[in-house]
Amino acid sequence: AAAGKMAALGSGGTRWRQAWLPALQQLRRGSKAVTRHWKAMHLQRQKLLAVTEYVPPRPPVPPRCRGVTAWSHRVPCPQEDGLARVLRRQLEDTLRDSRMVAVCQYNSMADEDMATLRHFLRRHNIHVKFVLNEIARPVLAQSKFRTLLPLFVCRNILLVSPEARAREMLRVLRGVPQVNLLAACIDDTILSPQGVENFARLPSLQECQGQTVAALSLLCSQTSSLLQRGPSHLTALLDQHIQRLRGAEGATEPPQG
Amino acid sequence: PAGPCGVAVPRAGLKKLALPPDYSGITIPEKPKLKFLDKVPAVPKVQREPRQLRDIRGPSQMATDFTQGQYGILALGGGYLHWGHLEMIRLTVGRSMDPKSMFAVWRVPAPYKPVTRKSLGHRMGGGKGPVDRYVTAVKSGQLVVEVGGRCEFGEVRPFLARVAQKLPFPAVPVSRESLREMRREEQERRLNNQNPWTFERVVASNMLGMRKYLSPYDLQLKGRYWGKFFLKHRV
Repeated sequence: AAAGKMAALGSGGTRWRQAWLPALQQLRRGSKAVTRHWKAMHLQRQKLLAVTEYVPPRPPVPPRCRGVTAWSHRVPCPQEDGLARVLRRQLEDTLRDSRMVAVCQYNSMADEDMATLRHFLRRHNIHVKFVLNEIARPVLAQSKFRTLLPLFVCRNILLVSPEARAREMLRVLRGVPQVNLLAACIDDTILSPQGVENFARLPSLQECQGQTVAALSLLCSQTSSLLQRGPSHLTALLDQHIQRLRGAEGATEPPQG
Repeated sequence: PAGPCGVAVPRAGLKKLALPPDYSGITIPEKPKLKFLDKVPAVPKVQREPRQLRDIRGPSQMATDFTQGQYGILALGGGYLHWGHLEMIRLTVGRSMDPKSMFAVWRVPAPYKPVTRKSLGHRMGGGKGPVDRYVTAVKSGQLVVEVGGRCEFGEVRPFLARVAQKLPFPAVPVSRESLREMRREEQERRLNNQNPWTFERVVASNMLGMRKYLSPYDLQLKGRYWGKFFLKHRV
């Protein structure tokens, strides 16, 4: 038994060397591969991870030179909406068919007041239209009302009418403080509020026509009176003379009688 | 929109009418709530098992995609779920969902793995401790629960996020689209990486003798996993 042990320990001079196996030797100290805590990495591994990090592709033109800001990705791309198309077409038809288009600023008012206003304006054939700026702006930019674009900022309404009844419109709007007239386009002429007032004070078309006719025929109407001026003057003088003679005769008679 | 004098004026825009989501192909099963999972399996194991932490390490091969539901909780790290976690999930999801219009399904088995624990205050030695509890192993990329029904992600996300925060590993609520988006982005990053040196390449060809400092498992894990942790920022 002793001899066997001796043989097992080392057979003579040759000793069986234990190979150094890293899988066994390195596990003598330290934790297992999977730990609850974040196991410290070997420096070489850390270096390897640092070298092999992700490098994103760089565009040839930096995004800030292309006009990309922090807020540009938040603006949603305009999606063509059926409802928007319908509203746009309606607005185009309205603008085409109306002679007078008045842009007013609208402050919120009660529904009843709004209904009353609509009623009074409708009596004079003026229609009240609420417009959304995001639809109105592209429509106006392409039409002849380009100058009215800066007005479409806040809530606004359009008063459209196929006939230009500015006086009645102003009278109604004067009684409503919540609706302020900003500008109007009457017969392809853009007018400011003062211009609208002046337009309202103008006489109507028939009166103007009558005045023109009267002015033109004034000279012609004066011709007959001019011709008759001489004889009429003579007639007047003779009448006066007769009266004076009659007055003289009458003065002499009463002293006789 | 800038008003006069350059002041920004708030305005109301056109109402965007979106179509309601289509729930035609969805059927709610009879028992919509999560099934009760046992603390201990029906046949408890007598033979105590070695630790085998490789069931936590690396990416998951099972339950990586949706089967029945539309939304779920994705594990972004490895860990063990025990009965307490499972009860918490079951009760929270059961409390927050509407059984008439939503259903939930387990994607994780009941606890099967016995975990031992030695009694406190004793020295080392004296054999392996007795079985303390049973746990379920979860790897990264595995779905834990799936929720579906006539609901949208926005409705489901709050309570799924609350559940995900309480799990022992990092987890996020996902939907089918968001998971697809995540995978697509990962692949895109892998493809458009401008760095000519990748972990995979270095390890596969053993550049600079790196394999001396790395594990043989790093050939498959490719530097994205370290222990039970999943390194999301690595490509």
